[in-house]
Amino acid sequence: MDEDLEKRLPRPADLNAMTEQSLKAAFAGESQAAEKYMVFAEQADEEGLPNIANLFRAISFAETRHARNHLRVMKGINSTADNLAVAFAGESFEIDEMYPAYAAISKSQKNIQATRSVKYALKAELDHKWMYAEARERALEGKDRDAKPVSVCLICGHTVIGDVPDKCPVCAAAKEQYRTF
Amino acid sequence: MADTFKNTPPAPEDKGAMTAENIAAALAGESQASQKYLAFADVADGEGYPNVARLFRAVAFAESTHARNHLSVLGKIGTTSENLKAAWGGETFEIDEMYPAYDAVAKLQENKSAQTTIHYALKAEMDHQGIYDETLKGVEGKKDLAAAPVRVCPICGHTVIGDAPAECPQCGTDGSFFKEF
Repeated sequence: MDEDLEKRLPRPADLNAMTEQSLKAAFAGESQAAEKYMVFAEQADEEGLPNIANLFRAISFAETRHARNHLRVMKGINSTADNLAVAFAGESFEIDEMYPAYAAISKSQKNIQATRSVKYALKAELDHKWMYAEARERALEGKDRDAKPVSVCLICGHTVIGDVPDKCPVCAAAKEQYRTF
Repeated sequence: MADTFKNTPPAPEDKGAMTAENIAAALAGESQASQKYLAFADVADGEGYPNVARLFRAVAFAESTHARNHLSVLGKIGTTSENLKAAWGGETFEIDEMYPAYDAVAKLQENKSAQTTIHYALKAEMDHQGIYDETLKGVEGKKDLAAAPVRVCPICGHTVIGDAPAECPQCGTDGSFFKEF
């Protein structure tokens, strides 16, 4: 980032517990607002309201600025090797604890759609975990990943490095429904 | 992109209070993961790891699909008119309660960085509240928003419809850096 821009960002700081608690909650709120507004933008497009869709996307971006600023003050943005370790730990928690617990409850309450949404997420997190582990090993040696594309299923978030399958192995979406990065 | 996942993500299902609580927590987790990974992607670019940046952006997108699916199960994707009301309600809560409370704590604990990030967010939410209010009035009269660009400050999230100011009134960033939607 431009140095002149960088100096305008709020700086990382040591935080007292209550201030930290505030920023954590604000980060959670901004992150969810950003995601919701992107979904609302899709809905506005479908209703033939492209300018409202554009507004939702713009305001979503504004919320991502707030989320990043809060995260930065909490010292949550570090070197890539450290960031990959944080990402790996987050995925591991979701795989080992969070989603299995949620799946157990949604199954016991016979909520089919919730069970499906949980399963889609859990399956994708399994891929993310090893991708982050591999990238971290390379980053610790000062190396980038190989220049292979990463593709994501629009329906369930299934993530694949390299060629896209003909059908998503998790939700059976067609090949055309992958987005490539 | 709007059409590709129409009807295919998990549908709303109102069954089980504990399940709803879990899906809401999962929405919070996925939203925060997505925002973290986007911030981490920028760091990776800055450190000369473009392919790690690509991985972070792809996985952030996957987490966004999970967030959307969870939001759908919760029945929180409405018509544009309902979505604008929900968005306005969220901004209003942040303006009236959340950020003033957090600001009071950050001031009490004399944390300048936290005050800055809270101030940036609060000011932008006031922009958003006003814009959503106007837009909702239009939609209730069956009108889309006028086709004008929306511009957002990349540092503080200040949001304007139409031309960018010469300098951001909140953080002083030059108007040429504003992102146009």
